[in-house]
Amino acid sequence: MGGSNLFTGTLDLLILRTLKAAPLHGYAIGKSIREGSEGVLAVEEGALYPALHRLEGRGLLDAEWGKTGTGRRAKFYRVTPAGAEHLAAEADRWARYSGAVAAILGSGAE
Amino acid sequence: MSKKEFLRSLRPGQVRADATEDIKQEIELYLELRAAEFEREGMEPAEARRQAERRFGDKTRIEADLRRQARRRRARKGTTMTMDGLKQDLAFALRTFRRSPGFSLVAVLTLALALGGNTAIFSVVDAALLQAMPFEDHEELVFLNGYHLTNGEIAIRGASFPEFRDWNEQSELVSPMAAVGNYSLAVTDGSQAERVATEVVTAEYFEVLRGQPSRGRTFLPEEHLEPDAYPVVIISHAFWERRFALDPEAVGSDLVLNDRPLTIVGVMAEGFGGTALNTDVWIPEAMISLVSGVGVLDARGSRFLSVIGRLADGVEIAGAQAELHVIATDLQAAFPEVHEDRYSQIQPFRDSYLGVTGRLLWVLMGAGIVLLLIAAANVANLLLVRSHGRTREIALRRALGAEGRRVVSQLLTESIVLAGLGGALGLGLAWLGLRFLTPMIPQGVLPGYVAPQLSTGAFVFSIVVLTLVGVVTGMVPAVASARPGIAATLREGARSAVGGNIRRLRAQHVFVVAQVALALILMVGAGLLTRSFRAELAVDTGSEIEQVAAMRMQLPNSRYDSEEAITNFAAELERRVAELPGVRSASISSDLPFRGGSSGAYVFRRDAPEDRIRFHRHSVTPGYFETLGVELLEGRLLDDTDAAVGDGARAVVITAAMVRRVFPDENPIGQTMYLRPGAQTPLEIVGVIEDLRYRDLRTSLMAEGNSPDVFFSYWQLPTRTIEVAVSAQSPTAIGTSLRQVVADLDPDLPVFEVQSLMTSYEAQTATPRFAAFLMGLFSSLAAVLACVGIYGVLAFAVGQRSREIAIRRAIGASASSIARSVVGDGMKLTVIGLFLGGIGAAASARVLESFLFSVETTDPATFVLVGGGMLVVALAATVVPATRAMRRHPAEALSAD
Repeated sequence: MGGSNLFTGTLDLLILRTLKAAPLHGYAIGKSIREGSEGVLAVEEGALYPALHRLEGRGLLDAEWGKTGTGRRAKFYRVTPAGAEHLAAEADRWARYSGAVAAILGSGAE
Repeated sequence: MSKKEFLRSLRPGQVRADATEDIKQEIELYLELRAAEFEREGMEPAEARRQAERRFGDKTRIEADLRRQARRRRARKGTTMTMDGLKQDLAFALRTFRRSPGFSLVAVLTLALALGGNTAIFSVVDAALLQAMPFEDHEELVFLNGYHLTNGEIAIRGASFPEFRDWNEQSELVSPMAAVGNYSLAVTDGSQAERVATEVVTAEYFEVLRGQPSRGRTFLPEEHLEPDAYPVVIISHAFWERRFALDPEAVGSDLVLNDRPLTIVGVMAEGFGGTALNTDVWIPEAMISLVSGVGVLDARGSRFLSVIGRLADGVEIAGAQAELHVIATDLQAAFPEVHEDRYSQIQPFRDSYLGVTGRLLWVLMGAGIVLLLIAAANVANLLLVRSHGRTREIALRRALGAEGRRVVSQLLTESIVLAGLGGALGLGLAWLGLRFLTPMIPQGVLPGYVAPQLSTGAFVFSIVVLTLVGVVTGMVPAVASARPGIAATLREGARSAVGGNIRRLRAQHVFVVAQVALALILMVGAGLLTRSFRAELAVDTGSEIEQVAAMRMQLPNSRYDSEEAITNFAAELERRVAELPGVRSASISSDLPFRGGSSGAYVFRRDAPEDRIRFHRHSVTPGYFETLGVELLEGRLLDDTDAAVGDGARAVVITAAMVRRVFPDENPIGQTMYLRPGAQTPLEIVGVIEDLRYRDLRTSLMAEGNSPDVFFSYWQLPTRTIEVAVSAQSPTAIGTSLRQVVADLDPDLPVFEVQSLMTSYEAQTATPRFAAFLMGLFSSLAAVLACVGIYGVLAFAVGQRSREIAIRRAIGASASSIARSVVGDGMKLTVIGLFLGGIGAAASARVLESFLFSVETTDPATFVLVGGGMLVVALAATVVPATRAMRRHPAEALSAD
């Protein structure tokens, strides 16, 4: 699994955020993240799946096999209440962190 | 579920085939959809797919990661499940036991009894056999005994100083070698008089035993050379603690032994007790004058020394024995009179210390193992019985979806819980048993400082064996339920016809027969030992020991330096003791029966040296015969007229055994004998008394090796060692008064072994009593366990056949005929077991041969009695199942399923 901890954590948050609205299967999640970030976050696309499975293992996501619109068998992921809590807490932390960095970058060396 | 599936379900943590499929599907879907996206953008399908795969990343690696994740997650779930499962199993197991308390109780008790009994016994054996040798490399240590071979009989004696020196000089295979004389000396410096166990030792003694001093030193070579030149002594750690309170100034100070001061030159390391294992002090042989005349150092015929040695490197006992034989024959040639028929024998330390008792302990260990086997058979039996009832329950659970693995683990838990409960109880029983047994261990089996402790090895071994048996038989229902046709099992009901049940029953029959056979072997052993013991008790000692109390003392050279001084003291002592209230009669003698200490000598019938007899010499006052209740057969007893020491003949009294051996066709009264060829004073036989048992109860009085007893008048032949015997109403209570008399006469004279003769006598029979008791204990346990086994099998069989029985009742068979057939089954098994056991007992009883006294190993009375007893007891075990079979209402039995 590639990337630093920060990176992996970010992917987790993106996944959680994406699924907050509605359950999706793996491809749909990946597409949503790609499009939502306007190509900035070019993830090694396959890294999605280990992240999904890991989140499922931690109980932050629930998974269920179902049928896609075209009748294909797919595994759908859904945020659990625990997952929602985690998302909120981490989002908060991220906001404070990025605010602090921005503040240092913004003010500072002149 | 097929057997294959069952076995597969037992394997933990594999990623199932479907999980891998799922992962493949999920990723495949992604790639397809992504490729479709690229196609929509205008790519060719093949190119689109390639792009999708490239952007995806290393598909193989990612799939492997996912599989690994899944596997780990499964394992974690498995562990939590296992933990939960275990807790469930435990609760279920306990509930099951509570529901069938009878079974649980019996199972736990069986385990506990077998474990407890075995562990306790093994602990004693362990202490006696393994701990009792406190010497370094004790396998190399040997005793050298001299013995006489007369008419094929062996009589073992100690060695003399000159003889020892010859052996030492000439032997190369036993080196170093030392001689030891055991004595009891009086410590008389002020405070309390005390007797100390003393060893008189030669130069290499400490080297042989590899004993090290903790303070000071051992003896120097010159201290062994010239008599009385160096009055030195070495003390033991225990004595140093007791007498000197660990005072560091003890070395160099004086110790007064037998009224002579000796300088302490060393203290031995803690735990060193010499060859006697409890020696207090050691003196070099040059100081022998403390205990006897110096002439003994050169007296070739004065044989009283123990000789110890260490086998030289790589030397085997057989080789050393051969060498010693050569030396003995050389000595025979060099000193024909004194060394005639004299040989020497080497004996390893261990055998000397334990002798008969050691072998006995091995026999007991064997009995313990037999008991363990019986218990194992019982456990197997019990679990098989239970497994029948469980098969349906388990089949049901499996049909309802329980995994094979869970069922197995649950059964395993039950077996282990049983083993745990039985083990805990067994440990408690073992501890109790040891506390109970330890005081019963006869003297000489264990040295004083060894206390038996619970042997963890024995406990662990027993519990492992029993647990294995329990686990294997406990698994039977699980394996049985893995067979195809759960439905069939559920349908079967109580019918016994199907294969598994018949096999089970047969196995149980085998177990029961085995149990009965083994129990019989143990019981025969116990019976033989008991009979032997009672035969020994029944031996007529010739004296009335129940009424006699005794006390011993040793008159020191310093204050009693003449025969007159000794006889004056003895006369006054006897007079005062006879006047004590409650005393019927009193006597003084050189020794007493069962209290050791007789000296031997030769006596010659005519003035001719070839015609000589070895005898045990006893000096006794006239009151001796009355005090001990010895009956006069012919002539007269010794009386006061025999007190004069003149030139006339000395009167002696002999025993009937001696008459039979020496004067078979003549009237012994008036015959004369001589102590030495050409001696001036003849010995005149004035009386014959009944046979007296002096040392042991077993050896025939007519045996060559068992020298007869001759009684001299104490006033003519006084001795320094004085035994006072009194016949009193309460021999145990008179001790204090006896001590007081001596204290009044001579306050510095310590007395010892103040006890009733009965106690000394009982010490003789302590070992056979102990053996018989232990075997009795084992065999009782075995019989109980065997009966439990019989009961279990029959109860099971009755349950199995209840339909058959019910049908028979319905047809018109009487209740009693049903009962008879049940009993008949039980008896059939028992008889087969008894038959096999009888053969086994006859074979194995040979092991006991050396312990038995006047009882044959195939003693028919014992076999019949024990076999009959077992039959009766087995019969009792069949009663309950039989009555239950009788009482079962036919309709109820038919409908129950």
